[in-house]
Amino acid sequence: MRVTMSTIYTSIQNNLQRLAEDLQRINASMASGKKYQTISDSPVDVGAILGLTQDESQMVQYDRNLDTAKSWLSTTLSALQNITDMVRTSMALANQMATGTYNASQRQAAAQQIQGYIEEVMQVGNTELKGQHILAGYSTDSPPFVEGAWQVQSPVMHLQSGSTGTAVSGGTYTGSASRTYVVEVVSGGGIGVGTYRVSVDGGQTWTSPAVIPAGPAALGDGVEVTMGGTWVAGDHFSISVYRPIQYQGDTHDLEIAIGTQSRMVVNEVGSAAIGGDLGSNDLFQILAQLRGSLEANDPAEVGASLESLRSYESHITSILAGLGASLDRVAMKENISGYLKDELTRQISDRGDTDLVAAANLLSAKETAYQAALLSSSKVMGMSLMDYL
Amino acid sequence: MSGISNILQIATTALLAEQLGVEVTGHNIANVNTEGYSRQRVNLVTARPVPTSYGPVGTGVDVLGIERAFDPFVTARLNDKKSVLSYYQTRSDVLEQVATVFNETQDGGLNELFSQFFAAWNDLADNPTGSGERQALLYQSLTLCDAFNSRANQLVQERANLLQQIGPTIEEINSYTSHIAQLTREIVESESEGRHANDLRDQRQLEVARLSELIDVQTYTPGDGTLSVALPNGLPLAQGVLSFDLSYQISASDTIELIWQGPGGTTEIIDTSILSGGELTALIQTRDEVIPRYQQELDQLAQDLIIAVNDQHSQGVGLELFSQTKGTYQVSDPAVAMSTSLPLGGQIVVGTLQIAVDRDGAPLVMDTIAIDPSLSLNDLVTSINTHPVLGTYLTASVEDNSLKIVANLASDTFGFAGDDSHVLTALGVNTYFTGDNAYTLGVNAWVLNDPDLVAAGQIDATGAHAVGDNRNALALADLEDTPVATGGLTLGESYQSLVMSLGLEAQEAGNQESFYQGLVVQLSQMRDAVSGVSLDEELTNLVKYQRAYQAAARLVSVADELYQTLLSIKK
Repeated sequence: MRVTMSTIYTSIQNNLQRLAEDLQRINASMASGKKYQTISDSPVDVGAILGLTQDESQMVQYDRNLDTAKSWLSTTLSALQNITDMVRTSMALANQMATGTYNASQRQAAAQQIQGYIEEVMQVGNTELKGQHILAGYSTDSPPFVEGAWQVQSPVMHLQSGSTGTAVSGGTYTGSASRTYVVEVVSGGGIGVGTYRVSVDGGQTWTSPAVIPAGPAALGDGVEVTMGGTWVAGDHFSISVYRPIQYQGDTHDLEIAIGTQSRMVVNEVGSAAIGGDLGSNDLFQILAQLRGSLEANDPAEVGASLESLRSYESHITSILAGLGASLDRVAMKENISGYLKDELTRQISDRGDTDLVAAANLLSAKETAYQAALLSSSKVMGMSLMDYL
Repeated sequence: MSGISNILQIATTALLAEQLGVEVTGHNIANVNTEGYSRQRVNLVTARPVPTSYGPVGTGVDVLGIERAFDPFVTARLNDKKSVLSYYQTRSDVLEQVATVFNETQDGGLNELFSQFFAAWNDLADNPTGSGERQALLYQSLTLCDAFNSRANQLVQERANLLQQIGPTIEEINSYTSHIAQLTREIVESESEGRHANDLRDQRQLEVARLSELIDVQTYTPGDGTLSVALPNGLPLAQGVLSFDLSYQISASDTIELIWQGPGGTTEIIDTSILSGGELTALIQTRDEVIPRYQQELDQLAQDLIIAVNDQHSQGVGLELFSQTKGTYQVSDPAVAMSTSLPLGGQIVVGTLQIAVDRDGAPLVMDTIAIDPSLSLNDLVTSINTHPVLGTYLTASVEDNSLKIVANLASDTFGFAGDDSHVLTALGVNTYFTGDNAYTLGVNAWVLNDPDLVAAGQIDATGAHAVGDNRNALALADLEDTPVATGGLTLGESYQSLVMSLGLEAQEAGNQESFYQGLVVQLSQMRDAVSGVSLDEELTNLVKYQRAYQAAARLVSVADELYQTLLSIKK
């Protein structure tokens, strides 16, 4: 083939241009740390990297969600643990007070202690996390447990054998502290015959006996009782007056996404965990009854409350176990996601990041080639027949 | 007649011939770097011998002519491949530019923004009452919308740029064809005496080469020095000494129509699909086919996003309810079925919609409205206003061709729930995004002005709703992994496939470009092997002609000496 001037010069130019392009590309990939500068460099790899990056950022988000889940679960757990502690102390107290070795004034003091626990449980039940009431279901903006209006409870009856006495409590309480009225029949008989006396300190002091009226009898501070039937001397009953604590939240479970199509309940609904709904495991109700029995100096009823506390204790223990399991699950998820994130980072780096060692090697190889091309080109360009004519 | 005068005659022809040789060599050397130049050479033949009694005696050398070294077949193939090369060069350039719009190898790409958008919904699900989370979500959404808008805008710009290049390219084509016709006229004139107009033919060949880089043409040489240049469908651009111009117009469907301006004012519209090579073809194809395809894919993705997010968002309720609200979409005619009069009316199916009314923040009533795609907006307004329960508390109306609902009392507010008819999505009521394509995608002004209206929760069957409710936010965050985009893909996957197919198309054009670059280099070398000038060869020729000239000159002096000798005999 004839080699002409344009063949020589064009090929020199093309070759140098190609090498310069290669050098530029290697340089850009080293300087930016990224293997590909545009999507057409390797569409398949770039597409795969996009997918992996999306997975990675999701993983980071799930990690953040797990943090939220963890703080909800652990705050709930510690609140319910506090309550469990108080339940156990109350049980110990009730256990002592159920025996006959304590007198009325000691039981009055114990009632004060239980009142303290009721207030404390309510406060714990209204625990907030970053301004949200965590035991209120979705109604996180207001405290789930509030004190209701004064309520006069139904009488707790202790009748002698042969007695047909009935008592219906009523009236509107006008006092300011919870209390329990103990009514004792002094001499038996029905309306207009029998006499009764009233104590507000568990039987330590009594009012002077009065005849059972037809219609409501005032016990004090607006509380009334209507007695019927035929009473036997020694019959007694107690009427407690207090403000019951009510649950104001809703019963929704708060879920948080902890993975693709995977959610976790991070709250406990206050009414189910603590009470305020007058259900069988309403701690407030149980404690209020215990307080009433203590105020009434009624060891038998204290014993009954102890049973209720025991059943509540096993109820809350199972809730605590569930929360513990959820926290374990969170920890496990965090472990897995940490590992997955590392793996994704590695894969993204494998596909998209410049392998500096390989790139540096390639750069020096191209550099050598470029220098060789420059050398040979200058040799070829320098040669001419003219030099010899 | 042989003799000394014959020797002089021979020397004369030799001197003239070698001198011409030097001249032609000089011309070659002078044009060593001239584009399209074909090396020339003197065609020498032995002069006709004279018969003598000894037999025919030579009379020296004769110049038959000056020829150019030219291989029409290699040149035709070269032009052909150059045409394809410039097609792929242009296509690759345009695709690379479009690829920069979707360059996801750098930070801040749409892929990342998608992730951040859904992450923001997750954050809101973690803390539905948080105003910081709500602001962050709105900010992320605006960024996402901006990214869609600017990409759509860049694609429109890219098409406009291409259109700007098409006019000048056609003018260039017209100027080449008219040059070709003009050069043909000059060639025919100067070759009428049977001589080859080498340099004019080179020039014409160069014009043809340049023309074929712009548009794929076929050339015919009838043999009389004329040249015809025709489009692939046979319409001539240059025929003999005539040339025909091209022009363009934009069709009703916003595509380029090439128009051939034939003789006598006749015109013909050229089907651009017959073109396969050249820059103009690539410009038209990328403007009319390639970019619109990606525009359409981007619009579809934006619409999938809008529908998926709005469908879910309209099921929910924010921290506060509406005292009034208005749809973001307008019907073309309030009396026509909403399925055809709304831009997203196709979404509406037979179903029901629930509206809950609160009084002073507490649930009051909640009731159901039946929806049918054949309902017009007027029908819907009537069915709300005459509703036995809701009609008492709410008043619906058509305002600016959109649905407007207002609570009758200042103490009343209302929210939506359980819309399985998608009518809220189609009307843009209680929705998150506005618009129906990549260019119009935006965040609904209602939520933008009042972040508390971002619907993170849902209304219960009882009409109750609480601020800590995150059900709707969770469902919206789940959309990231839900196949809501066309083709059963998630939104992220759909975008990734767009990026990948664009990347592959750009890569393919780049690969074709380098392949044809290689072919063109090879064919150029083949052409140069025939037509190119080699300085060493020319220098050799120069010396060759110089020596021959010197020898011929010596012949003159020998003849002179012979004459001298002959004349000196008489002394």
